[in-house]
Amino acid sequence: MQLLSGDARRAVFAPLDDGALRSEAVVRRVGSAIALGLLGNGEQLPTETDLATMLNVSTMTLREALAELRKLGLVETRRGRGGGSFVRARDDVLGELADARLAELGTTDLRELGDVHGAVAAAAARLAATRASRTETARLREIVDRLAHADSVTGQRRTEGRYYIELAACAQSVRLTMQEMDLHLELGQLPWPPAHAPELLGVIVASHRAVVDAIEARDAGTARALTEGHIETRTLWSIELRLRAGQGGLVPRREVS
Amino acid sequence: MTLEREVARGTAAVTEVAEQVFATVAEVHAAALRPAAWNGTRAGRPVLGDDVRELLLRPGQLAVGLGLVVAPRPERGLPLRLEWWQVDPDGGRLRTLEPDLKPTSLGYYDYTATEWFDVPRRTGRRHVMGPYVDVHGTGRYLLTLTEPVVVDGEFVGVAGADVPVRRFETHLLRELGPLPAPVVLVNEEDRVVLSTSPRWLVGGLLPPDVLAAGPATDVPGVPWRLVPVDDRSLLSA
Repeated sequence: MQLLSGDARRAVFAPLDDGALRSEAVVRRVGSAIALGLLGNGEQLPTETDLATMLNVSTMTLREALAELRKLGLVETRRGRGGGSFVRARDDVLGELADARLAELGTTDLRELGDVHGAVAAAAARLAATRASRTETARLREIVDRLAHADSVTGQRRTEGRYYIELAACAQSVRLTMQEMDLHLELGQLPWPPAHAPELLGVIVASHRAVVDAIEARDAGTARALTEGHIETRTLWSIELRLRAGQGGLVPRREVS
Repeated sequence: MTLEREVARGTAAVTEVAEQVFATVAEVHAAALRPAAWNGTRAGRPVLGDDVRELLLRPGQLAVGLGLVVAPRPERGLPLRLEWWQVDPDGGRLRTLEPDLKPTSLGYYDYTATEWFDVPRRTGRRHVMGPYVDVHGTGRYLLTLTEPVVVDGEFVGVAGADVPVRRFETHLLRELGPLPAPVVLVNEEDRVVLSTSPRWLVGGLLPPDVLAAGPATDVPGVPWRLVPVDDRSLLSA
């Protein structure tokens, strides 16, 4: 199989262990991998048997998940020579999937996810301020600049994911980097706030720029506090979106984006 | 035993380890220069022969990954491409590294921007990168040693080898044995590569005043310096 390697493969195809409704978990995992570009448009998925083994689900469960992904239009199966299951990256479907996932979660789930992400990213930011080289700081800044100019929801998501993962790498920590990768596969299953309110992209970019400034100034305390504060804000955004959905639906995507 | 003599012994040990790994890199490099090695690249055929990976299984080998990383030339049908083998950390089986080379992916392994690729390309000289987290590649904490491969006067890629930071440390601490005073090995970014003091941790940056007080001694053959540091123990109240 020649699909992914390194952290990404490990994270996308790590065995699922969240118990019930495993086929839905497979759908979500594959959905977020597409949203983050880890599975590219037109890319072939591993065979059913390989995929089932990697995710540690039965072939039956995997088939259910593939059927659902086909129904959603995120996977296309072609028969015969050169056949197999291929990815179709569709932003509209991914958006609907994210809104549906949000509706399943409680506000405490969102708070918990934010708490962990805050702990990991704030620690990474603090360490990066003491350990990042000039080249690394320049690279972080370049990623934030790219985020400011990314014009699609998926482009923004991926670029922001790279910011957090690179931040953890600047901390010289394999473990924090792996944690960020795992967290982004979960965060990638949820709505991207600027898809609902585009002006929020500016808030995100400004916050990351301030963190990079603090890292450059070797101000560990500020880098940490700003990162923690921003992720708290993000958690509240998700919770507000969740509560709005509970009171008659999210703001329709097409009106705002 | 003067400190000076100990520092000289330390730098010699570091040079020896680096040269040992560079000798492996040179073998990879030589394999990339065999006659007709590059003839099939347009058709996607590998440059390196199958025998190159066997270098990883040689007794005493410090490298856990090695190979050739090709400079992309889209106009000539040469895309981003790695011929990199690694020893499976769990088994000792050899497998190829197949990173994500899609620019639109969260996991894009943008190797042409990495120091281990870019420095040999720009300077035409060999380089040691690290310690660093090889984020979208092997996912490990590494030192990467590379040298440029030039065919007909043109840079075509780098030959290289990966040494895990832990393995480098274990090997070198054993080689050095007991030292009269702690020393810290730093790279050209002042990042700690190896330390025998609990005050300065591998991966951290050594403050300029500590570096100046050393004094620092250049390690021949690698862009590193060895610095004697304060020897007070932390294991006291």
